Amino acid sequence: MARWGMVIDLEKCTGCQACTTACLMENSRLPGEMWQDVLFYSEGEYPSGKLSWLPRPCMHCENPSCVAVCPTGAAYKAENGAVLIDWEKCIGCKYCMIACPYGVRFYAEEKQKTQPDIRNVFPPSGDKVWDPPYKMPEHVQDPKHGVGIQPKNVVSKCTFCYHRISKAPEGTTDLDPNDPATRDFTPACVVTCAPTARFFGDLDNPESNVRKLIAEKRGTRLLDQTGNRPQVYYLAGESPAIPETRSVRNPKT
Amino acid sequence: MGKIDLTTSRRGFLQATAVTGAAGVVGSVVGEVLQPTPSEALAQAPRPETKITKNVCHQCPARCGIDVYTTNGKVHAIYGTLDHPISNGKLCPKGHLGAYILYDPDRFTGPMKRTNPKKGRNEDPRFVRITWDEALNTIAARLNGLRDKGESHRFALLTGRGWGASDAGLTDNFGKLYGTPNASLGHSSMCSDASKRAKQLMDGNYSYNAYDYRNTNYLLNFGAAYLEAFRPYNNNLQTWGHIRTKSPKTKVTVVDIRVTTTGAAADHLLLVKPGTDGALALAIAHVILTEGLWDKKFVGDFNDGNNRFISGFSVDQSTFTERWTKGLVEWWNAEVKDRTPEWASKVTTIPAKDIVKVAHEFGTTRPAMAIFERGPTTHTNAVYNGLSIHALNALVGSMYAVGGLMSQMGVPYGALPWKVDEYVDDIAKAAAAKKLPRIDRVKTAEGPLWSNMIQGIPDFHMEGKPYKLDTLMFYLTNPIFSTPDCTRWEKALQDIFVIDTSPFPGETAMFADIVVPDHTYLERWQDTPTYPFQGYPLTNLRTPAVKPIHDTKVFGDTLIEIGKRINGKMGEYYKQVGNVDNVLRALAKGFEKNPGDNGVNSFETWAEKGVWYKKPYLWRQIAGEFYEWDGVDYRKPMSPEDVKKRLFKTESGKFELRSSYLEKYADFVNAKLGVPKERVGFPQWLEPRYSGKGDLFLVTPKTPMHAEGRSANIPQAISIYQPVSGGRNQTFLEMHPKPAKARGIKNGDLVHIKSELGSVKVRVHLTPAARPDTIVLPFGFGHWAHGRWAKDRGENASAIIPNISDPISGLTSNYSTLVTVEKTESQA
Repeated sequence: MARWGMVIDLEKCTGCQACTTACLMENSRLPGEMWQDVLFYSEGEYPSGKLSWLPRPCMHCENPSCVAVCPTGAAYKAENGAVLIDWEKCIGCKYCMIACPYGVRFYAEEKQKTQPDIRNVFPPSGDKVWDPPYKMPEHVQDPKHGVGIQPKNVVSKCTFCYHRISKAPEGTTDLDPNDPATRDFTPACVVTCAPTARFFGDLDNPESNVRKLIAEKRGTRLLDQTGNRPQVYYLAGESPAIPETRSVRNPKT
Repeated sequence: MGKIDLTTSRRGFLQATAVTGAAGVVGSVVGEVLQPTPSEALAQAPRPETKITKNVCHQCPARCGIDVYTTNGKVHAIYGTLDHPISNGKLCPKGHLGAYILYDPDRFTGPMKRTNPKKGRNEDPRFVRITWDEALNTIAARLNGLRDKGESHRFALLTGRGWGASDAGLTDNFGKLYGTPNASLGHSSMCSDASKRAKQLMDGNYSYNAYDYRNTNYLLNFGAAYLEAFRPYNNNLQTWGHIRTKSPKTKVTVVDIRVTTTGAAADHLLLVKPGTDGALALAIAHVILTEGLWDKKFVGDFNDGNNRFISGFSVDQSTFTERWTKGLVEWWNAEVKDRTPEWASKVTTIPAKDIVKVAHEFGTTRPAMAIFERGPTTHTNAVYNGLSIHALNALVGSMYAVGGLMSQMGVPYGALPWKVDEYVDDIAKAAAAKKLPRIDRVKTAEGPLWSNMIQGIPDFHMEGKPYKLDTLMFYLTNPIFSTPDCTRWEKALQDIFVIDTSPFPGETAMFADIVVPDHTYLERWQDTPTYPFQGYPLTNLRTPAVKPIHDTKVFGDTLIEIGKRINGKMGEYYKQVGNVDNVLRALAKGFEKNPGDNGVNSFETWAEKGVWYKKPYLWRQIAGEFYEWDGVDYRKPMSPEDVKKRLFKTESGKFELRSSYLEKYADFVNAKLGVPKERVGFPQWLEPRYSGKGDLFLVTPKTPMHAEGRSANIPQAISIYQPVSGGRNQTFLEMHPKPAKARGIKNGDLVHIKSELGSVKVRVHLTPAARPDTIVLPFGFGHWAHGRWAKDRGENASAIIPNISDPISGLTSNYSTLVTVEKTESQA
């Protein structure tokens, strides 16, 4: 089985956040529940000020600290490399949110930042937090893998679009959105990325495009010193956009 | 104890186990495990089919083909269409918002009439639902009444983002048959009219350009938000990924007035003083000419090959022979010889050495192109800034070249079978014979070169010279919110019968007497020919993904239904037309003879593929010679007459560095802008007239999530973090710390931005990277209507921006306002 990983080429990334909205749409996320956010950093002063940005998905770590701290076994590392949450086991204690060095886990708080609260506009049916008309089709939702609309009082996070990648035929090395044969299995953010800054493939396969990119363009991992060993690699290119102030948890501006 | 709800509170469940002990809990847990878990239950459910329909995104003018995913009758996903030449399977951040627009809970659910005769921001219109028949009959009765009184010209239709012959394209015939010059009033005077006009004055095409970006090696970008809004945005992003990693890498210089993602991603960002882009362009031209870097095959050369362009010295015209330009030496003598980088440095605040560096790069890299749009032209010197920039494209030979600029070809649609001229009745003929000006006064002595003047309409109506409007219909535009000094509309609309067609409760709708809501784009059929893209013809067909979810009607059908109810021949015409569907099928007939590259040759195949297109672009300039496509390659030589007819549609058939077209308006330009008559035709530096008595420029850009206002009521969009808009549910004012400190303003303080029109209260975000003389407040916020999320969020700068326009093109001078900023007394 493939061990999926993502490569993000920062030289190509334009900071447009199509990844963000594609994810919100594909995964029926609440406003502000941006599994795939882009962080902006303004540094320096006129006339040599600098604006840079960093797309930040879940890193789907090889050694995920969120899984280590989860008291119920809800957070787990799936066989295909994705770090997932079993919503049937999650108790919403948020330990994982504290343990994650990348700030990529989310909890639908009682008071939504964006008011009026959309959960009151599309009120939940059953145990879910909301029920929008544009929700992911019921048959695709999969709470054991943290896919779809979450029940109340659980943590949510990027699943690498588990509902898509898990349907890829065995032996697929790369999920290329431009290839009709693999497009539907490719994560939403990778499908839509207009400058083609995102690549998705099997990190265990030395023949995969992602492995070649990591080798040729010297892929690097964010906060590698934590020992989490992310499965998301960044290519800094000739004009690296990696910010000087690498605070990725609580960005101000 | 009752059954524990495992799904709503698992943490609560654990707490319960801890306090009550095992015995009480076990039973309920056993009860739970006998039930299928939610995931098992889902696995057993039948799998519904997911339908994919072809549509075209409506978040900007780019015309991205989209696949709309519908399951169980609900749209849940939108992706780019993989085999669509513009979207190529990709989307921009706005493209994914479509379902939120479709299911916006604040949409109008059907036609309504106003029952509160008072109009105002704080007046509840007290709308009541009516039937479509009542709505259409009410409108038709009013329009018939105007015709009976000989006042048909007092009906106007104002459109914004309408596309295609089946949509806003229907308004021309409506006006002709009805008898009003005002049926096709547009909004382009607050869009980018000055760039179109500048291009027309030089190369003869009144149009935005098509661009061969993928093959250019140098992109010199004056104020076009290439990575934020410049259309086709999605394709620009795709292009960016290519040009910045191809060999050789395309070098990019951005000239702007604030730090944008476009500027930050570029190789150089030159932060000019607002309104001075033209000075920079002239200095670049100066360097290109003095250093002999111009494209000699396109422009021509000195007869003996020796460069006589020396700073400050005139040149004898007879020593130079021009090829495809007209007026180079005259231009040099009249303007460019004195426009040194040192001079431009004083005007623009950009160091001379940086100007020289960019000029060297631009002048020595081929192919290269200079692009611009709204930024440099939102000032009173709009057209002259545009001319100065566009002149660079001639100097580096990029017109119609590989990696250069083209003009857009049209689509070979089938002709509509209904002969409109046969249905023009005596009332309409009598109305036309009056030769009344449009209400927006375009093509009058006031604005001989305006093509629209939306921002003037409220004043012109209130002046009533030569007439006042009686009935005003709005389609896809909301000028009460968006034009400069926007509150003028609130007075002007008091005595006008207002018809709004928006599906959303915008500000215009709050002044409406009757609302006939349109479908959203996912519910409709519509043709959408491309904006200028890569030159070759392309047109899309929107196919509804779902049946209309409310009692709405597509704008085209509303117009046709009103037409049917007009007495006399006009009614007969529209009964013949029938509906939008008939129009679309007539258009598609044109593809029978002209099948697209993707096999589209009928209405049905058009709907299936979503797009008809036919490559290649037919003309190309290669090393100063023009060729037409011969079926295999660009090998058929074009005569100068061919070039004049097809490409340079100017008086001379050349790219005019001395515009003969503009010289025809020398008296007008001299009177309005003070340019000496003999200099009017040259691209030149003209000092912008800044308005206001303040000391800081207020600029109000659109953010990447703006979506032409269509994202304003989408909480998912509102919460997204973006530079300048603040994001995460807030808007803020970008301000450099120096001017802030001088005013005692700290980061996060509330301040008043004041102009002579009033003030808005906003929160400051200190931004050291910003120009110290320029503050940035994003446009699109501060709605007082438009839905529960849009309303009362942030401030609308349009309320304090004075209504000043470029006299030549009519484009609003939005970024020329000097304001004051002071800390508010109360910080709450």
